[in-house]
Amino acid sequence: MLGVVGYIALGIGATLLITASAFTIGGILAIPLALAQRSRFAILRLLVRGVVNLVRAVPPLVWLFLVFFGFAELGLRMSPLMAAIATFSFIAMSYFAEIYRAGLAALSRGQEEASAALGLSTVDSYRFIVVPQVFRVVGPMMASYGIGLLKDSALASTIGVVELTFRAASQAQQTGQGLTIFAIVGIIYLLLSLPLAIVSRQVDSRLRARFSVA
Amino acid sequence: MNHPVNNTEESAPMFLRASGITKKYKEHRAVDNVTLEIDQGEVVSIIGPSGAGKSTFLRCINFLEMPTEGTVSIGKESVAVRTDSRLPSRAELAAIRRSVGMVFQSFNLFPHLTALRNISLAQERVLGRSGEEADEKSYQLLKRVGLDKKATAYPGQCSGGQQQRIAIARALALDPLVMLFDEPTSALDPEVGAEVLAVMRELADEGMTAIVVTHEMSFARDVSDRMVVMVDGSVVEEGDPHAIMSAPSHERTRQFLSAVVGR
Repeated sequence: MLGVVGYIALGIGATLLITASAFTIGGILAIPLALAQRSRFAILRLLVRGVVNLVRAVPPLVWLFLVFFGFAELGLRMSPLMAAIATFSFIAMSYFAEIYRAGLAALSRGQEEASAALGLSTVDSYRFIVVPQVFRVVGPMMASYGIGLLKDSALASTIGVVELTFRAASQAQQTGQGLTIFAIVGIIYLLLSLPLAIVSRQVDSRLRARFSVA
Repeated sequence: MNHPVNNTEESAPMFLRASGITKKYKEHRAVDNVTLEIDQGEVVSIIGPSGAGKSTFLRCINFLEMPTEGTVSIGKESVAVRTDSRLPSRAELAAIRRSVGMVFQSFNLFPHLTALRNISLAQERVLGRSGEEADEKSYQLLKRVGLDKKATAYPGQCSGGQQQRIAIARALALDPLVMLFDEPTSALDPEVGAEVLAVMRELADEGMTAIVVTHEMSFARDVSDRMVVMVDGSVVEEGDPHAIMSAPSHERTRQFLSAVVGR
């Protein structure tokens, strides 16, 4: 049984790789999207809203297949791992754009007015005033989305990415011990997400003790 | 650029001159062709009923509100906005805002920064002062408003009155030529407001140039050198505060004063 656990645990790398890449890439790509939603140009705002809503309206599994088979159809050979990272980054981008937007909306208008009245440049205003405050609002939301992402990454097994769930499924088939094996893999997911949840809660309560954003 | 300023008598340059300020929302004129000049060391209070456009006018002076039309000159800087022309450039806005300090009704301190940091940040980023220099100045100003003990406190750990005094220190830190106060005590309990007014009174005595939108009639009467009464977006009366309050010449001023005085 130890051998089986060891075999499954080897999938942790791929699972974490998909999760961390999607979290990072999505988190970065979402920044211009969130800013575009505050643009003066209605077309830009509508366009971004459209993309965000479209991505979120379709199940992640369907997106995964669309990307994987879609790119193959276009003659672009993409490894299952690459396709999974691309898909989840794309989905995370849309969710993060929405999270950032909510965070920006929570920031009181007075904050930006005060920065402007002090003569801070737009860049400085974002850097010193807006972003730090927005981050404190969206941090916990991002952490819980990250945990969701970790679990969603199991879907990558369906296109053949050899991660935790894929390895568990193959072992279950070989040994016929499905219940035990999936219980083990469940515990592994729990152990992976627990630290993230704990850290995020601690950071959040520490910041909350000091100040609250209106 | 030549701006067709009305009455172009080449008198001594006023410290601050906001002329022909108009702010339209659709067809509604929130501020209708208001001109205000203020000399160095002068304190002008703007009073009037709610919705008279007092705050909007004040916010047009540092372009937090973009006037539909009008010119703002401070020292050597002059920025004009005309309905049919371009908006002021970033550099022009920066120049005006550097010369003007603003205190808001809702304080608007930065909640994630300590009192000291609130005051130092713009000194470093806008004026290019070193961290040490800025902190030194900030500390002096906190002392000035009686809050040096709160230097490391966050705004959330300070009372409303303390926050407003910190906000005053923050605006003063940039050595503005003119201070704008937008109903600085309206969000405060009367006794807490009194401590803010006391600070403003002291600053006025020390020669601060300021425009104060306020409902504090006794402050307006005792501290300001001049009083401006706004009604429906226009100035209806202007002059010595005591004279206006004891013998208002305009019917709307009379109505307004009888409603607020002795309240």
